[in-house]
Amino acid sequence: MEESEVRPLLEMRGISKVFPGVQALSDMTLSVMPGEIHGLVGKNGAGKSTLMAVLMGLIQPDSGTMVIDGRQFTAMTPAQALEAGVAYVPQRINLMTSLTVAENILAGQMPTDRFGFVRWDEAFKDAAERLEKLGLKLDVYQRVEGLSVAEQTLLAISKALFSNARLIILDEPTAALPRPDINRLFGFVRSLKDRGVAFIYISHHLEEVFEICDNVTVLRNGRLVGTYPINEIDTAGLIRAMVGEDVEEYQRKKTDGRVGEPVLELKNMVRRGHYEDVNLTVRKGEVVGIAGLEGCGASALAKSLFGLDRRGLGEVTIKGKPYTATNPSEALAQGLAYLPQDRYLYGLVGGRPVRENITYTVLDRLCALFGFVRLNKEREIVAQYIEKLGIVTPSQEQAAALLSGGNQQKVVFAKLAATKPDVLVLHEPTQGIDVHAKTDIYQIVSELSEDGIAILIISSEVRELLGVCDRILVMYQGKIHQEFRVGDPNTTPQNILLAIEGANTCSETAVSPNLSLIG
Amino acid sequence: MFRDGRLTQLVLDRLIWFVLLLVVIFFSLRTDNFLSGINLINILLHASVLGILTIGQAIVLLSGNFDLSQEGTISLLTVLAAWMMLPYREMTLAQAGGVGWELHPFIVIPIMLVLGALIGLINGLLITRLQMNNFIVTLAMQLILRGAAFVISMGAIMPGTPALFNWLGGGRIGPIPVSVIATLIVFLVFAYILSNTRFGRQLYAVGSNRQAAAASGFNPAKTITTAYVIGGLMAALASWMLLGRLEVSNPTLGVGMTLETVAASVIGGVALTGGTGTIWGAFSGVLLLSVINNGLNLMEVDPFWVNGVRGLIILLALLIEAQKVRIKVRTVQTTVADKKAAAS
Repeated sequence: MEESEVRPLLEMRGISKVFPGVQALSDMTLSVMPGEIHGLVGKNGAGKSTLMAVLMGLIQPDSGTMVIDGRQFTAMTPAQALEAGVAYVPQRINLMTSLTVAENILAGQMPTDRFGFVRWDEAFKDAAERLEKLGLKLDVYQRVEGLSVAEQTLLAISKALFSNARLIILDEPTAALPRPDINRLFGFVRSLKDRGVAFIYISHHLEEVFEICDNVTVLRNGRLVGTYPINEIDTAGLIRAMVGEDVEEYQRKKTDGRVGEPVLELKNMVRRGHYEDVNLTVRKGEVVGIAGLEGCGASALAKSLFGLDRRGLGEVTIKGKPYTATNPSEALAQGLAYLPQDRYLYGLVGGRPVRENITYTVLDRLCALFGFVRLNKEREIVAQYIEKLGIVTPSQEQAAALLSGGNQQKVVFAKLAATKPDVLVLHEPTQGIDVHAKTDIYQIVSELSEDGIAILIISSEVRELLGVCDRILVMYQGKIHQEFRVGDPNTTPQNILLAIEGANTCSETAVSPNLSLIG
Repeated sequence: MFRDGRLTQLVLDRLIWFVLLLVVIFFSLRTDNFLSGINLINILLHASVLGILTIGQAIVLLSGNFDLSQEGTISLLTVLAAWMMLPYREMTLAQAGGVGWELHPFIVIPIMLVLGALIGLINGLLITRLQMNNFIVTLAMQLILRGAAFVISMGAIMPGTPALFNWLGGGRIGPIPVSVIATLIVFLVFAYILSNTRFGRQLYAVGSNRQAAAASGFNPAKTITTAYVIGGLMAALASWMLLGRLEVSNPTLGVGMTLETVAASVIGGVALTGGTGTIWGAFSGVLLLSVINNGLNLMEVDPFWVNGVRGLIILLALLIEAQKVRIKVRTVQTTVADKKAAAS
């Protein structure tokens, strides 16, 4: 790559894109050489996905140019992007899972005889030869659904190459992989790199970026922070570049140790392959955050607690009483409410009125004899929550799907708060919500906590956690890796992000009393 | 701008009633006696059995499932009721009597209702507990039930059901048939149940978004099973009504009615994907189908053509429904865009 006569395979210059209300990309620059593995990192919402969507022709930029292998584009269609040799391998691989490896490789160009019947012998032989040329050992007779996730990723990459891809975008390819599979994937990627194939490698796992990439580009708020040769930067430097000096976020009034008795206590929670040795306590009026990468176990823990998934072993108590719920209905009855990450799928019944959505969780209490809903009482409760949480809706009868994202989320909050829970578990509460509404949501969290509810927030937004929580736990590979007390000098976004990546940043600090209590 | 969107939606939601009005005007202009009292009562009579069945079908559709077994239930329960009530008689010319128990209608009617509910319960449990496909389960159930009806009756018709039993299907209060009044009452009851009870809420929630319903603490399996039990009960009620009107059982009774109930529901705006639609919508669908049937008869349209015309009408209804969704989405989008523009 050092030779200056080699021209870049990809050059994106001055790419800008405005979405309604958001400058998604501004003056973004990216250059990738043939045979280069180029890391692309940034926080959620930094603009990585938008930039890649532009490169794949899914989004037309407002300005800027792209040069791919000498051909210049100002905007592309997806077909042009493919034709220019750009391929995208998503985190969740989409292959035809019920067909064989060979059929997936040859899709659409199966060898046939003159009557149009497939010549299977030839097809399997052809597919096997193609794989061999890439040095990939896969059984061509195997159905894709029988392959491991890693093998599916390898197959997806190979498939892209067979359609003449020269630049492959790998989006979080290792999120669901155990280490030996990661090694196999990296081995394959390196062998292709030696043949001149270029990769854009998107990942939140920075150690992997250091392991495999030649250069790394950092984005923040849709802008280029910088492109660095990998041996000229370290993890701390990368995190500093990703975090930057952002504007102050919402700050909740912290509890200053005036927290009450323990409400939610988890002891030795274990579910194989998801989390282990999880011990934590959330006290009355306390807000505790959990930060971690995808697959760190936090999300599995939350779903299991609410009974959406099996819980495994371990002891859970709420206000000292054993918590035994195995489904959401029991969970709500025993005082634990959960705000799901995907509010469209799990939070709301979009086609139904706001009024009905808010009272789903408390219907039993609203029902008279034979299950007739006391409508006056219902409207009264709904009006109360619409006012308390500041839900903007033309009426109680408006279909929930027609509200803005922030107001939809408030409806979900109302639905949970109506159960008067002891514990509220929030999973990415501000995902897909605009900045103004975010502050409202934080305000709601703050008020609910003042009502005495113990709150546990799982979020990938570190600044959000710093603004709202009293304590932040970092989970890494299924375990609680480190605890940060908000207000300690050690508790900085940089340190938390380092811990999220698996580093230990509390070596000198004294172990806080709370940590010893739960450890 | 917002008001415009609402107006469009208001009209769209009641479109079917406008269509019904147009069809009624059309038939009353083209035929002499469409608007006569006798004919209107005929229409309502046809609408009553279909209406009761459609209530059951619509409720199952709202839960996001199909009930194809209803017409099988009609076959079996009408045959069974006659078989239990009528005196024994040797079969002659494909006519037969009952088994000889000569049970009183007040015993037979509860048995019918319980059996109908039981069939629904079995459907529901197979679908929710054993996770079998609702389409196939209820289709197989239809075949089993009709098969049983043929076995019990040996294919014979059983005429002469008792007057007490026939009151619901054939009786009149003044000029108004009892079945028409009963059907209206059942519609009122279920319209109220769906909008004002816990079951109604759960039904719509489960039908529109099963995961969210479960995450709200509902039990989707229970709700769906209940929907099937209601479907079975309505089929039993329709059996009683139909047998009472005809006064003769026949194992082929009910053939083709499943399609009519689904068509009536869909025409009335009940979505096949579940969670969308109302009982009154289904009612309008029933009226429209009945009016069209009757009108085509009066116009002496060749019966061979009638099915084709009905098929066309169902297609048209689906077409309108699909457009409705698109128009609605567009109104919402412009409304949201307007709001955003107003905010900035």
